[in-house]
Amino acid sequence: MRALERHRKLSAIWASETGFRGWFSTVNHNDLGRMFLFTAFLFFIIGGLLAMLIRVQLATPHSAFAGPEIYNQIFTMHGTVMMFLFAIPTFEGLAIYLLPKLLGTRDLAFPRLTAYGFWCYAFGGTMLIVAMVFGIAPDGGWFMYPPLSSAIHSPGINADFWLIGITFVEISAIAAAVEITVSVLKYRAPGMSLEKMPIFAWYALVTALMILTGFPPLILGSVLLELERAFGLPFFQADLGGDSLLWQHLFWLFGHPEVYIIFLPAAGVISTVLPVMCRTTLLGYGWIVSAALALAFLSFGLWVHHMFTTGIPHLGLAFFSAASTLVAVPTGVQIFAWIGTMWKGRPELHLPMLHILGFFVTFVIGGLTGVMVAVVPFDWQAHDTAFITAHLHYVLFGGFVFPIFAGIYYWLPHFTGRRQFFRLGELAFALVFSGFHITFLAMHWAGLLGQRRRISAYAPEDGWTTINLISSVGSFILAIGIAMILIDVLLHVFTARRSRRNPWNASTLEWAMITPAPAYTFASLPQVSSRDPLAREPELATTLARGEGFLGTPRDGLRETLAVDSASGRPEMHVLYPANTRLPIIMSAVTGLFFLSLLLKFYWIVPLALAGVIVLAWKWVRSLGLRDDPAMQPVGHDLNLPSSATVERAPGWWGSVFLLTANGTFFAALLFGFAFLWTVAPGWPPPVWFTPSVAELALGVAGAVIAPLAMRRAIRRNRAGDAPLFSVLIALSGSAVLGIACAALMLRAPAPTEHAYGSTLLVLGGYGLFHAIIAALMGGFLARQIRCGYTSAKRRAAFPIVALWVKYTSITGAIILLAAHLSGMLS
Amino acid sequence: MLAGAAAIFGLVMILLGLSFRNRRSSGEEAGQIRVWILGLGLGFPALVLGALLAYGLVIGERLVPRQGVEAVQVSAQARRWEWRFTYADAPALETTGVLHIPAGRPVDIAITTADVIHSFWVPRLAGKLDAIPGHTNTLRLEADAPGTYQGVSAEFSGAGYDGFAFEVVVHDNSGWAAFLRGQPE
Amino acid sequence: MTEIFRILIAPLVWFVSFSAIYGLHGVLCETGPGAFEGWPVQRVVLISPVLLAIALQVVNLWMLYQPRFTAPAGLLRFVSRAGGWTGLVATVWTLFPVVALSACT
Repeated sequence: MRALERHRKLSAIWASETGFRGWFSTVNHNDLGRMFLFTAFLFFIIGGLLAMLIRVQLATPHSAFAGPEIYNQIFTMHGTVMMFLFAIPTFEGLAIYLLPKLLGTRDLAFPRLTAYGFWCYAFGGTMLIVAMVFGIAPDGGWFMYPPLSSAIHSPGINADFWLIGITFVEISAIAAAVEITVSVLKYRAPGMSLEKMPIFAWYALVTALMILTGFPPLILGSVLLELERAFGLPFFQADLGGDSLLWQHLFWLFGHPEVYIIFLPAAGVISTVLPVMCRTTLLGYGWIVSAALALAFLSFGLWVHHMFTTGIPHLGLAFFSAASTLVAVPTGVQIFAWIGTMWKGRPELHLPMLHILGFFVTFVIGGLTGVMVAVVPFDWQAHDTAFITAHLHYVLFGGFVFPIFAGIYYWLPHFTGRRQFFRLGELAFALVFSGFHITFLAMHWAGLLGQRRRISAYAPEDGWTTINLISSVGSFILAIGIAMILIDVLLHVFTARRSRRNPWNASTLEWAMITPAPAYTFASLPQVSSRDPLAREPELATTLARGEGFLGTPRDGLRETLAVDSASGRPEMHVLYPANTRLPIIMSAVTGLFFLSLLLKFYWIVPLALAGVIVLAWKWVRSLGLRDDPAMQPVGHDLNLPSSATVERAPGWWGSVFLLTANGTFFAALLFGFAFLWTVAPGWPPPVWFTPSVAELALGVAGAVIAPLAMRRAIRRNRAGDAPLFSVLIALSGSAVLGIACAALMLRAPAPTEHAYGSTLLVLGGYGLFHAIIAALMGGFLARQIRCGYTSAKRRAAFPIVALWVKYTSITGAIILLAAHLSGMLS
Repeated sequence: MLAGAAAIFGLVMILLGLSFRNRRSSGEEAGQIRVWILGLGLGFPALVLGALLAYGLVIGERLVPRQGVEAVQVSAQARRWEWRFTYADAPALETTGVLHIPAGRPVDIAITTADVIHSFWVPRLAGKLDAIPGHTNTLRLEADAPGTYQGVSAEFSGAGYDGFAFEVVVHDNSGWAAFLRGQPE
Repeated sequence: MTEIFRILIAPLVWFVSFSAIYGLHGVLCETGPGAFEGWPVQRVVLISPVLLAIALQVVNLWMLYQPRFTAPAGLLRFVSRAGGWTGLVATVWTLFPVVALSACT
């Protein structure tokens, strides 16, 4: 088969539907990555316009441009849009587009999940923007502190848009994080061990793991606050046993890691682009990987430094002050490793390099002011002033926007297959750079003079007039610069000359293909033997196009790839991807219906939407079943691999592990909330304690013990060729009994609206019940698969997945029952 | 702190700039790692940050209220959008928007709120401390000289946040006694 | 999974001990002050888990240098040892205030 014929055949298999209809049914990472990035930049423009409005408001004293009601919505939405609708989705989009190409495979682990995540993001983001257009956007500041954001002080629907809209968007973050983690660990080119992985993949892996552990506390906080607002469960009301400080802990437990979730992918871009710009390799690869990991962990020990002024004892603050200074060390390692890389090579001032220099200047200043505010006495003065606003913009703009611009200019030829023609980019960079520094250097100064953040007006005698005017002028220069970058990119997309392949002489695999990237990504998969495959084999692209790698022969219209052992990169299984489908968009629309009916308080629709989600999920997994035992699959080079339906740890198992990691963090945060309220909140002990019942506890725990044991038995019997159906039904019943015990706990929770103790028990019981239902549904699904002949001793991949969920349900359910009944007994 | 930060920034910029010099590639990778990563990346920040942390903790420790000192007790309660102050030495007195304290004596301000979170901040006298529902936070401050000091609430509290300010009037001994008797000069 | 576990264990233990000791400190201070031979009770109670946390980190680091437990040579060994050092340094660095500062004010 010639290269062209292979290209035609593979394109027919992998392409999405033609025209705009393809957008709704595509599951290909090439499309979805671009759709993510495009949507994220739309939100970036919206957020940027809001920033302009803020600077117009503050340009002059006693501004009459917008009243506080409107202004509060503007700055709340600016922060919310930039954080949740621009920064995180930009990382997701970039990772979704690039990772399969960098890793030498054809797509991400769960293509339909990618699409589902995208539509959740698009719908959730639209909800927030629509709220803003109607003037009912959230107005409590982007960190939404209760009681200001509680029903008493924010009675309108504004805060609900934030809580529900952001939770909806978070689904996409969690989905993308599961996707990225499994893809990096399992979906790589044969031979690509962890050691030979491109550095961006390490950063993406670390970031994804951080999303899985960082976002759940925020999701929990949003759920609890929405429950308080909608149903009067007083989690954050001090007079009813709640505590507003709980929100601050949950929010910043997310909020600080969030900063590094934003910075690390950008650092990944720098670590990829900088060596290419300097014609050398990255200095200290192992050190950088270690530094990224250390940074990820340490960033979880900083959350209280956002709460230095809440009256926590000095020793408590000292822990966090210490952690906040320590986190600068791995950051320093990375910065100096990059400068060392520049010394090692010969830096060339291409456009991406200019933005990287912009990053260095801006981010180092942001880091230094960050160290300043880590010092407690300084923070007591600077906290909640414009100094903090300026600092965080230095960190986020320097640490994210400049590197992302560098990345965009670096990978634009890959997106378009064209080379830069107009020289608008250099001027645009100069404007962005100078505009940014004028705006925010001035803002530091205003903060030191005592200007608080979030004020909508100030008086001439405050003495901030000139500084604010300078800052506003700077912000318009910045805006013009960014507009020019957009124009530059558009000109590039539509008018530039065709580029040769690999215009930067880079050594990573994404350049070993024709550009723009074909739908199938690689015509055949490379065998990787070094960290810089293209440096070793400059003609790799041609070799792969000729089908000389793995899976070079298109078969039966199937979307094929292979998965590897996570550490060594040894090929492990053959994987078939699903084809184009509208299921993801329909599923996310129904999910959206669920959130929307909560938001508008049409509670009768909620169960309908939930039932819809269940039906669609059933349809989703049913399509994975196989009727017959698959043979060993030939993947080329005389290698035969087992099908993913016949392995112990299928992709779905890996996905479940990481989804449950996020879920477990959510549960841990919930238990933390319970303990926190119990020990710290005023208004405890509650007037009525839970009445423990030995019978209920024993029944529930018995169900929790039996279910995983029965699943184990089912796996053993299935492997031995015996009928596993009965054991699966026992497991299902065990989970159901556990669910009943949790439901009883919910029903008997003492006066949930009158004290946070009862409301916490209600939520704990609800969590257990929800998972028991999921476990039972999965058991039911598996039983059906067994009956209809979709499983066999060979086709066994579904069993461990169900066992995993059943085990998780049992552990958390037992903890819930014990926590509730023990609290009643102790009193 | 600012000078130190400027010096570090300058150093990084010089190193960045020097990387553009024309020169032959220098030395082994192991040697470069020793210089750049072990020396400048690990050692240098660890040293500077360790010193800074110790300094910050010592200063913070000094700001911690000492027990056994006779301090004037006042309470500050915030609500949207006014501060009310009461005085342990004159239980009948309540002032709104103006806090009166004596000069040269430590004052303990018990900060509470009647509605949402606020923050008590008199920049020239002390750092911020939040008023949090259900909790009482105590701020120790001491004004050296009589006079009037501006204070603001420094936690966003909704529509009236812009103008949410108060004053602290610091009295000399006789003025303080007169204030407590309910006869301000 | 073992490879990943070996890398993550030290920082994970740090995070757990860090949060637990912070939480313990909060609870101790809520229950009111006391003194034990001139030392506040809180400090005595807090120092022991800090020492335990440091001991755990040292044991882990020691294991990472033993041929029996360490990762295969190359990047994974390097990164897991770096993780071990991160855990130990972070434990000492972030928890030393327990011995140096006043406990509950």
